[in-house]
Amino acid sequence: MNKMNGQVEVSICYGTLCFVMGGSEFEIIQDQLPQNIRHLVHVKGMNCPGYCNKQENGKPPFVTINGKLMGEANLQKVISAITEELTNGTYK
Amino acid sequence: MAHTNNATLIRREIITRLCRLYLEGKLEDIDRIALAMAPRNTLTNGSRCCIHKARAIIKYRIMALLGFNIADETDELESLYSYALRALAGTDQGEGVLTVVGEACTSCVKSNYVVSNLCRGCLASNCMVICPKNAIVMENGQAKIDPLKCVGCGLCKDACPYHTIIYVPIPCEESCPVKAISQNSEGIEQIDYEKCIHCGRCMVACPFGAIMYKSQLISILHKMSKADKPVVAMLAPAVCGQFRASYGQLVTAVKKLGFTDVFEVAQGAELTARHEAEELGHVLESGQQFMATSCCPAWVELTEKHLTQLKPFVSETWTPMRYTAGLVRDKYPDAVVVFIGPCVAKQAEALKYPGVDYVMTFEELGSLMIAKGVDLQVFEAEEEGIVYPERRFAVSSGVLNSVAAYYTGEQIKPLVISGLHKKNMAVLRRLATGKHDWNMIEVMACEGGCLAGPGGVSSPDVARKLFNAQSGVQTEMPAQ
Ligand code: FES
Repeated sequence: MNKMNGQVEVSICYGTLCFVMGGSEFEIIQDQLPQNIRHLVHVKGMNCPGYCNKQENGKPPFVTINGKLMGEANLQKVISAITEELTNGTYK
Repeated sequence: MAHTNNATLIRREIITRLCRLYLEGKLEDIDRIALAMAPRNTLTNGSRCCIHKARAIIKYRIMALLGFNIADETDELESLYSYALRALAGTDQGEGVLTVVGEACTSCVKSNYVVSNLCRGCLASNCMVICPKNAIVMENGQAKIDPLKCVGCGLCKDACPYHTIIYVPIPCEESCPVKAISQNSEGIEQIDYEKCIHCGRCMVACPFGAIMYKSQLISILHKMSKADKPVVAMLAPAVCGQFRASYGQLVTAVKKLGFTDVFEVAQGAELTARHEAEELGHVLESGQQFMATSCCPAWVELTEKHLTQLKPFVSETWTPMRYTAGLVRDKYPDAVVVFIGPCVAKQAEALKYPGVDYVMTFEELGSLMIAKGVDLQVFEAEEEGIVYPERRFAVSSGVLNSVAAYYTGEQIKPLVISGLHKKNMAVLRRLATGKHDWNMIEVMACEGGCLAGPGGVSSPDVARKLFNAQSGVQTEMPAQ
């Protein structure tokens, strides 16, 4: 349903583990998003949801994009996932 | 300068693993870290040739993180466990603060000049003719430079009519303001500690993460577990830009890590600012043309080792670290005093003066939080205590503004040097000639100030944003 109105919801893990392991970069994600999609993206933070406790989730930092989990996230990866999600909602 | 990239993240992962092993009492497993991080049958990172090299690199990183100078290795087979025991026993760990991981360094370019494959192998071969060292040969119809013979003069580059010879920078050498790092006969970088001012710029610049700071973390953990003396942390002002947390939350977290008490270095910075303002008054009255700040240890060392003509102009006021250590000792005379900051040069400063026992970086602080499962997010935001305006010591121009706030003499004509890059080095060299009318000069080795220090958790942009949001003090954009 998020796709319908062209919105993407991005949740950033604010847990200290994710933050130290590269998540701090997401503090500036708003400024880094391309102008034309900025208003379509809703970025929020979350306390550690426990992704970091399970090895199968991969490595931190963790971000979810429309509910889909991304490990070893960085600005570039997240922004391309957002773009992908906006164009056809097929980001896996 | 602390950028979030794979090199920094690997360092943090290793620090975290090291802390975990120590805390779990399993240091004897330390030699397994490399196996765990580079497991068999995987090539984790395309930039390494094989698993064995990847493991060797991890091993040497750990050696540095145990506090040893990698260049001092005498027995290639000495286990990390043996190094760890030596570190805990407090044996001499060699000179310098920065050390080169030779195994990682070998992947870098060997010579500043390279012939690209656009070379036509022309008849004239101007490059070969002009090369004073006979370093160029023709191979398979293309010119080739022998890095062992090349002295980097660049004559060949200008001589090529096709512009096929390119200049490839060697990032660490390029970044060093004092030419303290250069290749040895095997083409591996080595640091000349007579020249090194410990600014950490090479460490940040190296794309292979081949330069490490020698860590004192294991000794700090050991002191905590001994528990015979209070271990007191001093948090540098830049801390307000490093984590997603208020200063109060940070204090709670640092105590949870095992520190007896936490002091804010901004408190000492207030004393520095007051004394420096007074000193500035005296100095200018006495007819001296200008005075320079003394809080950045890399800058002070620059005047001790290189720009010695500027040394007499550097303020004699103590740094915030030293004043704060004094405050700690007033309360805890027998404390083990640990400075926690973004700086690697502070380690060298602490060695010079009694009072500060250990120095650790913010990235080590963050890694220790991970190892101990301390999550800043779950702490309630606390009532903020005193907000020292001297927190702005962390930001370029902040020291100057703080001194100015207590100063009452003739007008200050300030110069702010933010970062010891080439351009600013040239400005500094000209200072001693006296042909200018600045009377107060602030110098910080890192662009933008300590917020951008090499031992930080957050990259400079992020650190500035967090600092402005959390520190409770206003900063101005630094003059470049
Ligand atoms: S800290 Fe981010 S998932 Fe646990």
